[in-house]
Amino acid sequence: MSALALEVNGVARNFGGVVALRDVSFSVREGEVMGLIGPNGAGKSTLFEIISGNLRPTAGRISYFGKDCTTTASHLRRRAGMCRTFQKVRLFESMTVRQNISVAASQCVQPGRDVQEEVVAILAQLRLEAQSERRPSELTLADRKRVEIGRAIAGYCRLLMLDESLSGLTHDEAQHLIEEILTLNRSRGITVIVVEHVLSVLAAMVKRLVVLHNATVVADGTPTEIAHDPVVIEAYLGTKQKALR
Amino acid sequence: MEAAVTDQAAGNAASPATKAASAHRRAFAYGLIAFVLVACLPLLPVNNYILAATVRALIFISLGQAWNVVAGIGGLLSLGHGVFLGLGCYTTGILFNKYGVPPWLGVWVGVGLSLLVALVMGSMTLRMRGVFFALATVAASLAMVQISRHFVDLTGGADGLALKFFGNSLWAAQSRTPAPFLYAALAFVTAYYWITRWILNSKFGLEMQAVRDDEVAAAAAGVAVFRTKMLGLLVSAAMTALAAGLYMQFYMAIDPEAAFGLSQAIQLQLPALIGGLGTAWGPIIGGAIMIFLSEVTNWGGTKVGISGLDIFVYGLMLLAVVLYAPKGVVGTLLRNTVKGSGR
Repeated sequence: MSALALEVNGVARNFGGVVALRDVSFSVREGEVMGLIGPNGAGKSTLFEIISGNLRPTAGRISYFGKDCTTTASHLRRRAGMCRTFQKVRLFESMTVRQNISVAASQCVQPGRDVQEEVVAILAQLRLEAQSERRPSELTLADRKRVEIGRAIAGYCRLLMLDESLSGLTHDEAQHLIEEILTLNRSRGITVIVVEHVLSVLAAMVKRLVVLHNATVVADGTPTEIAHDPVVIEAYLGTKQKALR
Repeated sequence: MEAAVTDQAAGNAASPATKAASAHRRAFAYGLIAFVLVACLPLLPVNNYILAATVRALIFISLGQAWNVVAGIGGLLSLGHGVFLGLGCYTTGILFNKYGVPPWLGVWVGVGLSLLVALVMGSMTLRMRGVFFALATVAASLAMVQISRHFVDLTGGADGLALKFFGNSLWAAQSRTPAPFLYAALAFVTAYYWITRWILNSKFGLEMQAVRDDEVAAAAAGVAVFRTKMLGLLVSAAMTALAAGLYMQFYMAIDPEAAFGLSQAIQLQLPALIGGLGTAWGPIIGGAIMIFLSEVTNWGGTKVGISGLDIFVYGLMLLAVVLYAPKGVVGTLLRNTVKGSGR
């Protein structure tokens, strides 16, 4: 059985009197593609910020490949291969696509690997060669998201966390991006966590879903199990009666 | 058909880089001509007033370039760079007047002291963002004004510090004519231009620009944000203090307002703001424009009996840049070709 890539143990986070996360626990195996879903305000983004190191949990522990990284700075997590994208695409707007990817490649490239070779490989893998000298403002949303993924995986990536990377895309664009993400998972052995709030989008992509609702985990299972879970149905549609209708 | 489309796409993609390279070559050619012209000025029949104005322009270009490193490339709007200018000037002057240490050595003590102060300032302020960082640096400047006024025996208090004059002396780095300072200042401008270009094209420069664009995304790309900002501040402080040595030798005097005052801090920023933040050419063009307008308005002001007209013009220039050319002269002219490609 493969190793645990990520373990979230009893994580809680309060903002003043507001409870954003309460006793959240789950784990992700190496090589797995896992979905994290929940309605707006469920705590998905807060959890992402805590896992990636931008926020400290009020309580609980985060382990990455068996090592406690709860207090590790975000740039050190990234250099250790824990990579992420953002809900609202955040690129370096004054730089070209190539430079955006170079920033991460130069920080995280493995010994013996050339930075420029790595950048070229990423550009090729994500079909961004033609856009490499353009700036983000000249790109479509789909390309901007691909650049962000490219920057996220450049150099060294073992765990990729995608924060609503499919939102705002057309059906075809979303399908292409899903294929590219799954290819990254297969070809580079990258463990993937995908955050979305639309269950149907994730169902075709992942074999396992974790559902967050009201700041805590309410379900964990296959997409089919989750789709029929009464707690999930109630979380998404309000009442069991509405769901049944 | 598909191949043709691909070729076209590749051609389009290459075009901005090609344009940038071509623009850079042109800029370099103009720069070289300007360098030769300035270097030949002392050999031409021009009076000392013109030479002195040129030296002033070159000194402010150097100081502007130093500020450009931290603010233009690193995005840290420091309003307290007068601290490093003042430390450089006062340290060089005090060591020379009181202990006979030649400015050639004294200036390095000023650089060391500036680095130390930058380290302390940075530790306290670099976790702040935007306007909070700017305000904290203003506070540091204001504190230095008071400190320099307090230690009258050392700094001359509010009256300031004047260097003992030795006439033409290499040891004292002094001259009765502006010509030697012109060559020294030209060397500073050239060196600082290359330092800025090197930073822009280096891994460190890429990190600074990433931090300037988006700190959170930079950290997510593996950049050590605090360390990058601190290094940027240290490099900029050292460059400012070093140029301050030349400032002190040329002006021969310094006082608290001229060193740490807000109007001086604004003058340090104008070359980069007018010329183009985050570009190597920006402070050079901006500094030249600034001093030219300053001299013209000073001359005009004297004629019509209005003093301080240059400060009024600085204000107008700043307003015009913010409203009509926020990317500065270089940024506006070469927006699509130079930016992001070495500059």
